[in-house]
Amino acid sequence: MNPEHGMAVATALTNYVFPNELHVHWSLMIVLYPYITGIVAGAFIVSSLYHVFHIEALKPVSRYALVFALAFLAFATAPLLIHLGHPERAMSMMFTPSPTSAMAGFGYIYSAYAIVLILEILFIYRPTLVALKQEATGFQKPLYNILTIGSDNVSEKSLALDHKIIAFLAAIGIPMACTLHGYVGFIFGGVKANPMWATPLMPVIFLLSASVSGIAGIILSYILIKTFTRKFIDMDCIRTLIKFLWGCFILDFVFEMLELFSHAYMATHHWEALRDLYFGPLYNSFWVAQVFIFSVIPLVLLGILSLVKLPDSWVKFWGSLVSFMILIQVILMRWNVVIGGQLMSKSERGHTTFHPMWFEKEGILVSIIIMLLPIVFLFILSKVFPFWLDDDTVAEKQLT
Amino acid sequence: MDSIEKEISRGRRTFIKKVLGGTVAGSLLLVIPAGAMDLANIPEQITGMRGKTGPFITEKKFAFIVDITRCIGCGSCCVADKNEYQVPDGMYRTWVERYVIDDEDNVYVDCPNGGLDGYQEPRQDIPHPIRDTFFVPKLCNMCEHPSCVQVCPVGATYQTEDNFVLIDAKRCVACGYCIQACPYGIRYINPETRTADKCSWCYHRVRKGLLPACVDVCPVQARKFGDLNDKDSEVYKILHQPHVVSVLKPGMGNKPSLHYVGLRREVV
Amino acid sequence: MPEYKSKAYSHIFRIALVLIAAGLIGVAVRAMVLPESFGDYGHYRGSAIEDEINRPIRNGTNSSCLVCHPYIREMHLQGVHNTVSCEFCHGPVADHVQDGKVIARLPKKEGNDIKTLCLRCHNQIIRARPKESIKMISMPQHLEEKHVRIDHNCNQCHNVHAPLMWVKEARAIVGAEEDNK
Repeated sequence: MNPEHGMAVATALTNYVFPNELHVHWSLMIVLYPYITGIVAGAFIVSSLYHVFHIEALKPVSRYALVFALAFLAFATAPLLIHLGHPERAMSMMFTPSPTSAMAGFGYIYSAYAIVLILEILFIYRPTLVALKQEATGFQKPLYNILTIGSDNVSEKSLALDHKIIAFLAAIGIPMACTLHGYVGFIFGGVKANPMWATPLMPVIFLLSASVSGIAGIILSYILIKTFTRKFIDMDCIRTLIKFLWGCFILDFVFEMLELFSHAYMATHHWEALRDLYFGPLYNSFWVAQVFIFSVIPLVLLGILSLVKLPDSWVKFWGSLVSFMILIQVILMRWNVVIGGQLMSKSERGHTTFHPMWFEKEGILVSIIIMLLPIVFLFILSKVFPFWLDDDTVAEKQLT
Repeated sequence: MDSIEKEISRGRRTFIKKVLGGTVAGSLLLVIPAGAMDLANIPEQITGMRGKTGPFITEKKFAFIVDITRCIGCGSCCVADKNEYQVPDGMYRTWVERYVIDDEDNVYVDCPNGGLDGYQEPRQDIPHPIRDTFFVPKLCNMCEHPSCVQVCPVGATYQTEDNFVLIDAKRCVACGYCIQACPYGIRYINPETRTADKCSWCYHRVRKGLLPACVDVCPVQARKFGDLNDKDSEVYKILHQPHVVSVLKPGMGNKPSLHYVGLRREVV
Repeated sequence: MPEYKSKAYSHIFRIALVLIAAGLIGVAVRAMVLPESFGDYGHYRGSAIEDEINRPIRNGTNSSCLVCHPYIREMHLQGVHNTVSCEFCHGPVADHVQDGKVIARLPKKEGNDIKTLCLRCHNQIIRARPKESIKMISMPQHLEEKHVRIDHNCNQCHNVHAPLMWVKEARAIVGAEEDNK
């Protein structure tokens, strides 16, 4: 085979895209949507590790993780609504969900999960909220009245009842968090027309990367908030979180690579097109960024952090750095799956290109705003729900 | 018509109520919208369609056949389609692809502007002698098991009982899931209505006894549309003769009802 | 033991009440906003079929054109271009006639546009065309073979509606045999 012939194959394979596929329909908003729901699911799992699986080391972040999840959950639908051509018709998904559509369940799964999360927060915080209600003045009074559901009863009997409900909610919360995110993976994994998406591994990968992004988000925000407020950082908690992050990330990365490896090894008629995609337009964002810089390096760092006894200040610095890198890895993975999958034409003879713009409806600026909103909301929530047990004498007393 | 007359005799008031409520199926056929085409001047191309009411045409079994051994790539079909639906630039309900296969078995496909401007120039970028070249018109495959209908979360894309896959532009939320799900890349978001859109085999024309616009204008009869229940129809004859007849991407399991005569294995 | 205003389970009771109320409101709103014909034939709005049927027809077929253009009709139907669509070259009849009234004139191709249009179908150099379907020519070899000036436009020898009409008439006048026989 002479080089000229090889060139001809490359052009023949890379130059034909069906005429309606030049435009990438699912753009940045649909990259953010699984990213945000992933963070929600992951943060909830952190909380459940304490509430259900009784990992005592995670107690300092067990309440915070729930509020953190709520802050992101509140904006999980924002990118979807911005993406829809007719957001005013969005409620049709709730009113007339098609039983055959993988997407139609989202409204109900999301709402059910939101109810469980909000209830769990309200029940866990109830003694604290009741105490705060007594001190509250002005507009805070009706607010705390609503949040305590008009109750001031913190008797042993009442709290025992609450505890049963909390355990129940946390227990059903885990399968629900998994469903929420595994399901988001299935929205992609169930598209048989797209060979890059259509793999049963897709929900698994989405779920694992969700756990990873949630744990990383908790580590990073916990260290940052505590450092800036000059409060005590529970290093045992951080070290445990890093170990969980390492474990989940190993699984996540292995499955991500396994998916690609099986495509390459089985090399069906789709593979040529997929190879051209991974080594063509996705080369930098997938191989260089997602795999090498933001997966291999964090894996090594996490291994060292988990296995070697390092000074606290090192763990704090490298732990937050590696968490930040993993948050980038996950968004890169979302990008490479969501955008990458659409770059390949269903003609399997070529791919299109995608360059996000700063100032468009689904552009970069809007994406940044959407990612900042949960952080702003988290700050507002911190004024209502004290994150840390050591600030909260009521809860401290209740729990001891 | 009979059913409507029966309805009228049953009670004018209730009938009008039903018409206003839109529950008498096909009743709006009686209302001629402003600017409508005068059908009196246009002979019926599909016999027995005019005056038919009811939501579905069950006594006919429509088939669409594309004969790629006849297509000359003139793009008449694309022009007619764009005119019929005023399709925005850059979106295509139907298009015509040009395939070129060289002696080394390399396949080159192109489709500048969906074939709307025809093919004026041969491809210059092919380094080997050309073995074969042909045109392939593309349009909605009207799958028996349509993925677009399966994935539509709100029931805005639906399949009628007479096997047309249509879009309800009043309910589509434009989530774009159907675009991802269609194995044939037929769908697009219409920027004017902000809803999903695609070829409908000119359902509105068929229901009024006219052939789909692309079929009507094809100068070489490469596109054929007809009733498989009619043994004299061309589509019936083609499917009952030993032609090479196939569908696109049969492995998808969608069971397209769009058939191709002379389909080559290189075509996807 | 402190005295509480609320009972131990009153908040749980209220939450259950709120959830049930939200569900009921949802059901009520759904009943209000659901299109009347939704679900008549399947998981879709039944009257959407009527909406689709009522989409305006814009291409009127050749018969809708030829009914008002009898002279063209005579030429077009007798010539080898009888399968060519009027609206392909001139645009849809809906842009020309509405409710039986002429609302605008449709464009006529002129000059080089005619050549471009002819070559959409007849250009030999596009090899993908089956020979049995259509007559092919190469440009400018065709002009050279026919001994006409190389800047001649197609419609100087060929009536676009009946391409061989003038050719045949000219042959009848000069009594010439078809030269490529």
